[in-house]
Amino acid sequence: MLKKLLVVLTVLTVGLGVEEKSGESQGARLLVSKQILNRYLVEGKDIEVRYSIHNIGKAPAINVQLTDNGFNSDAFEIVGGHTSSSFARIPPESNFSHVVVVRPNKYGYFNFTRSEVVYRISDTPNAKTRKAYSSEPGEGGIVAFRDFDKKFSAHYWDWLAFALMTSPSLVIPLALWYKSKSTYEKLNKPAKKH
Amino acid sequence: MSKQQSKGFTKEEELLLQDFSRNVSTKSSALFYGNALIVSAVPIWLFWRIHMMDIYTSLILFVTVTGISTYLLAIAYRNTKFTLKHKIAVKREEAVTKELLKKWSDDKKMSKKEKDERILWQKNEVADFEATTYSIFYNNALFLGIVIVASFYFLRSFAPAINYTLSIGIASGLLVLISTGTH
Repeated sequence: MLKKLLVVLTVLTVGLGVEEKSGESQGARLLVSKQILNRYLVEGKDIEVRYSIHNIGKAPAINVQLTDNGFNSDAFEIVGGHTSSSFARIPPESNFSHVVVVRPNKYGYFNFTRSEVVYRISDTPNAKTRKAYSSEPGEGGIVAFRDFDKKFSAHYWDWLAFALMTSPSLVIPLALWYKSKSTYEKLNKPAKKH
Repeated sequence: MSKQQSKGFTKEEELLLQDFSRNVSTKSSALFYGNALIVSAVPIWLFWRIHMMDIYTSLILFVTVTGISTYLLAIAYRNTKFTLKHKIAVKREEAVTKELLKKWSDDKKMSKKEKDERILWQKNEVADFEATTYSIFYNNALFLGIVIVASFYFLRSFAPAINYTLSIGIASGLLVLISTGTH
């Protein structure tokens, strides 16, 4: 479900029709997608969020401000990158990617909402400012760490500890039995050895 | 003959009775229960760490199942020991006799009867020791093996609490069944 949601790329440009009428269709036009790159969303584990900005317009986008208010500090810790960043210029027919790494503090369902991009549509001094929204990854289930660990961890240390705990109850009686057995078997068959 | 019976058993007869008795000494019983308790409790680690059972909320279940399993395992130890003891006693008789006669080669004072009694006693001790240690090893290995196979293979899709109860129950129950079925 999440994968399906991730694939969705929605383009939102505000006031597009108005601008086309006024002859500004030659300006920069940004398409923004927000993608969650992880296959599993796990409590306490990093989640990579990629914002891809494509300028499909004829002019460079100037002073592009990307803001994502979707990760509130109660539920997420930002461990890499910034949720708001700016790019001075995105040339026409080019892409720009921005990655943020967040770590969820809680498990449960979380709605990954859209982010916002504000930019000037050309490098002329009186160019208009345009606001665009990214695609919405949608609702994703964040799995509790214990459930994830139960399913995927190899538990090497746990097995090792188990082996250490069980070994005395196996090795000690076996060793005692074997010692006695070999002592008496030796006594029993001394002649056969020579 | 009737006079002898009224006097009770001779020392030799008592030793023979002890040899064939299913009863175990207090020391042996404590050893069995202690071992059974350890081996029954150790799988809790697996269910806590790997099956992710909560140790506090499942405490009553852990204690109950461990208690039952300890009792069953101790029975299995005792039964296996009883079966093995006679087989081992037969095997060790010659070696024990040789060992003791060699030891007493210079001792001319000891009567034949006393020697025989001591040999019997020593044979009983050796057989008891070997049967006890082997029984503990055999039952522990089988118990842990069954618990691991049951909980991680046959019952892996069950809820952890059911998995725990069933795997420990099956393992200890099977051991009692196997130990009683062999003689």
